[in-house]
Amino acid sequence: MATQNHIIIEKLDKVFTTGRGERQVVALDKLDLRVKEGQFFSVLGPSGCGKSTLLRIVGGLIEPTAGTVTMGNDTGPHDAQRAKEIGFVFQEPGLLPWTTVVGNIEMPLKINRKANRPHQRTIEELLELVGLEAFADAYPYQLSGGMQQRTGIARALAFDPQLLLMDEPFGALDAITRSQMRYELVRIWERAKKTVLFVTHSIVESIILSDIVAVMSPRPGRVRGLVEIDLPRPRTEEMERTSEFLNYADRIAHLLREEEDRGKDN
Amino acid sequence: MEKTTELIKAPVLTRSQRWRIRLRTLAEVALPPVIFLVVVTVAWEVYVEVRQIPRIILPKPSEIFQRLFGDLHYFFIENGLVTFSEALAGFAIGAITALSVAVLLARSRALERSIFPLAVIIRATPLIVIAPLLIVWFGYSIYPKIIMAALLCFFPILVNTIIGLRSVSPTSLEFFQSVAASEREILLRLRAPHSLPFVLSAFKTSVTLSVIGAVVAEWAGAGKGLGRMIMMKAAELDQVSVFAGIFVLATMGILLTFLVNWLEKSLLYWHESEIVG
Repeated sequence: MATQNHIIIEKLDKVFTTGRGERQVVALDKLDLRVKEGQFFSVLGPSGCGKSTLLRIVGGLIEPTAGTVTMGNDTGPHDAQRAKEIGFVFQEPGLLPWTTVVGNIEMPLKINRKANRPHQRTIEELLELVGLEAFADAYPYQLSGGMQQRTGIARALAFDPQLLLMDEPFGALDAITRSQMRYELVRIWERAKKTVLFVTHSIVESIILSDIVAVMSPRPGRVRGLVEIDLPRPRTEEMERTSEFLNYADRIAHLLREEEDRGKDN
Repeated sequence: MEKTTELIKAPVLTRSQRWRIRLRTLAEVALPPVIFLVVVTVAWEVYVEVRQIPRIILPKPSEIFQRLFGDLHYFFIENGLVTFSEALAGFAIGAITALSVAVLLARSRALERSIFPLAVIIRATPLIVIAPLLIVWFGYSIYPKIIMAALLCFFPILVNTIIGLRSVSPTSLEFFQSVAASEREILLRLRAPHSLPFVLSAFKTSVTLSVIGAVVAEWAGAGKGLGRMIMMKAAELDQVSVFAGIFVLATMGILLTFLVNWLEKSLLYWHESEIVG
């Protein structure tokens, strides 16, 4: 695996001003992170810990109050955005209802065309990758929540970005579909070989998917600890019952709980 | 690993089976209102006959239809076509202007902030009352009628289109931004198609408004048209012709509404409102 840094986040602050400016919320506080190329990196934390904010800053969708995000080639999020180097998958699929699965997957290729790369995956490859060959011409309303989200993943991979940002992509799915999608994503990632920054509040999800889990604490958003996941790949459902897995789960839960206790003291 | 199943295919029907289903649906949808209409018309006829109601108060439906079909050219062409053209031209001009202004406003936040609230307020006023003024300004020609119809159509379409352009899903918008889409690309590929249901729903109210606008402007002063004809015949106490004129106007309104409905059906095949079961 390449050891070069893909994302370098340094001293990142984000302060939101709410209401008519009378209240300030510190979403991120002097946050430092390094994500290596090709790594599956999860950010885990309770709701409101600023993990989605972090992802949106890395994706260039919002501006930090202070601090920097640098991509591996010394560019910032906006340059990466313009070069279509970032594929974003959101909690809601956000598909266009007036066009088919193929139409949705092709949409990012039709915008900002000058940044398209010469050799992209074909639509057939993408459909096959997410297992939607039979649904190429279906409209979003004809798909289940899981299939909609898979369309969203294919759409983010269509322009072959180096980096995939995923904001609780399975958060809106039911538990059974969610668990299926988890292994679906393991399979997709193991084939697609992208750097992934993945935001979640599920401990199981973060362990099964990731190389590294960053545990975050809320208000202000900070990284409480990094847990390196040394489970063999390909990851399988059986691993959820191994003692290594349970050890990791324990360590992560401990890091989260430590935070809760501190919260009570304050 | 989940393997997705094939879409469940509907059983293939033969031609005659399909026609039978279509006829049955048509009968289920169309029959009840038709029966009701026939009952009301017959009751009207019988009531006027039995109570000996004078013709200048309420004529019998049979008389009205006799008058109407006795001089189709007078009602439909000489007067109907005039009002129809005024309404349609007004609707077209009002719609095209409203859509263009909405797109313009979508590109400038400052412009939108200053104009949108005014448009909402003007939409809530009975604009129709300026018809006499338009006659003063533009004379007895067809122009004040077209302007009146266009004005009535303009504001609902403008307001709805702006709302449609603005109300895109935040996630879709963020995805477009995440690949550095330009404002123009966002407008063309996201906002415009998203606003279609809003636009068409405004079209539906506006086509009827365009007929009302043309008729009222004719009342204020005109040489030809159904509005003027109804006004004159009412003054002559020729209620039979008044009702015949109303019938033609109703037909016009229904025709235009059907037209927009058809447009909606063919453009919004993907929208919730069109997806049945």
